[in-house]
Amino acid sequence: MKQENSLSPIWNWRITGLSFGLLFFVSILAVSFGPVSLDFSKILRTLFALPGGLTGQERTLLIDLRLPRVLLGALVGAALATSGAVYQTVFRNPLADPYLLGVAAGAGLGATIALTSSGANLYSLLPIFSFCGAIFAVLTSFFISGKFFAEPNSLLLSGIAVGSFATAVQTYLQQRHSSSLRPVYSWILGELTVANWQVVSRSSIYIMIALVILITVSKQLDGLMLTDEEAYSLGINPNRLRIIAVIAATLATATAVSASGLIGFVGIVVPHLVRGITRRVTNRSLLTIALVGASFLVLADLGARTLLSPAELPIGVITAFVGAPFFLVVLRKKRLVAK
Amino acid sequence: MIRVQDLGVRLGDRDILKEINVEIEDAKWTCLVGPNGAGKTTFLKALLGSLAYSGSITDGSVEVFKNHGRNVAFVPQQPQIPIGMRVAEYVMLGRSKRDGWGNESKKSRNMVAEVLKLTGLFGMQNQFVSHLSGGETQRALIARALVQEPTLILLDEPTSALDLHHQIAVLNNIELLKERGVTIISTMHDITLAAMYAEKLIVMKEGRVLLNGTSDFVIHSEELKTAFENRINVFTLESGRPVIVAKKDLIN
Repeated sequence: MKQENSLSPIWNWRITGLSFGLLFFVSILAVSFGPVSLDFSKILRTLFALPGGLTGQERTLLIDLRLPRVLLGALVGAALATSGAVYQTVFRNPLADPYLLGVAAGAGLGATIALTSSGANLYSLLPIFSFCGAIFAVLTSFFISGKFFAEPNSLLLSGIAVGSFATAVQTYLQQRHSSSLRPVYSWILGELTVANWQVVSRSSIYIMIALVILITVSKQLDGLMLTDEEAYSLGINPNRLRIIAVIAATLATATAVSASGLIGFVGIVVPHLVRGITRRVTNRSLLTIALVGASFLVLADLGARTLLSPAELPIGVITAFVGAPFFLVVLRKKRLVAK
Repeated sequence: MIRVQDLGVRLGDRDILKEINVEIEDAKWTCLVGPNGAGKTTFLKALLGSLAYSGSITDGSVEVFKNHGRNVAFVPQQPQIPIGMRVAEYVMLGRSKRDGWGNESKKSRNMVAEVLKLTGLFGMQNQFVSHLSGGETQRALIARALVQEPTLILLDEPTSALDLHHQIAVLNNIELLKERGVTIISTMHDITLAAMYAEKLIVMKEGRVLLNGTSDFVIHSEELKTAFENRINVFTLESGRPVIVAKKDLIN
């Protein structure tokens, strides 16, 4: 009987393959465009170390400026999108996002402390400071909300409060140390102009560790959509899984924030986009969400660099410009489903 | 054999279960009956192994607490419905432990299709679980438990959302599991149905076990009436089937 096999697979892995292609294409596009355009085939030849590649200044432009920037954008985009998707599953709330949970604001506060502290040069410790700030924010949100994972809404509300508080302290610090106002301010708006190989290699370690953990546990995350007893009976330890997932997602967010400042809405736009287009909620899509998040931020950064060229828009402006209306659409759709 | 010895469960400062000593036979259907708040659901969670308890529960020879080696299906009374998940995917979750999370074998897909037909859900496999009716959701839950191929199935009020026709359909499906050697433990408010399907009944009240025995024995016992404050009547049909009904006159 043909009907036997009419169940379609839960996830079509060709979509994941396609999103690898998308990221590659978008990245080549992004390193090619700018005040000086670079030739596609020459870029590819340079990257794959084939004869006939770029030389001289063009080569320097590609290797030392554009490539680290695109790579950092991809890493940050992947980190934000993946942690957004994970927070949404763990907290059973489609609107959960690194920003709403106070994670990003906490990371921002940590980073501002590192940037404004006079005397000691804490710049190299920025990722650690922002991770501590982020973890502190998450823990505070947890404890204020009282129950660890039982009440997704109270957790989000306390996350918003903690986030506002962290932002307030951060603004205070920033205004007090007016000498460092400019770097802090441009960092808050989010930008990838700081990208160099040092930042890329430092961030990539933390982000890759976090992403590998998240994509490894992502297979089990679907179980967290059920009650704890159901998850348990299917071989999952729900609380342990949640703690691993939240710590890894927070590490990814904090590293992304420390490398590139506060870039909003990626964590909410990308997971919903991928789940909406594929019409699948399974967390088997997590790798795809990471890749699409990377592509989204690389594209947004391309827009930030080129729209007002030679001036640069902060990338956070682009993501918010696309993200905020999208957020409202999700909100409206969610209300319709609830009815 | 599941052996429960001096089982106690405390939540906060309240004893939910205390001094429970029962033995539950393999490949039989045992049903927990008793009024609301008797601790039936907590007992099921303790049997699952996900809840901390004092005393001991051994399944075979192993202590059940946090023992992930067992394959136990759990059908909750109030499931958490994943928004945006489709029926086939929901039922396929039951295969996760067998296939490994994130994988799905061809065998599993065929089995899910089979069980969807058995539970009358085939054709709805692409619908959202959140769009199912109460009865359809319950059947999806049962379907997921069936594809899990468990050695023990725990069901919390499996018929509460079902009409009379589907009650029988679902219970018949569960009963088939006994032939495969699966032990069935359920709670059920409808004692008439419980007596019809379960070989053994355990009467609970206020966290304790009042009586544990064969359905026939328990149904006609004083303890059952005591558990419900003497507000039930037991009648026997010509076929010999007991029917339990509430007394109207005594309910204020």
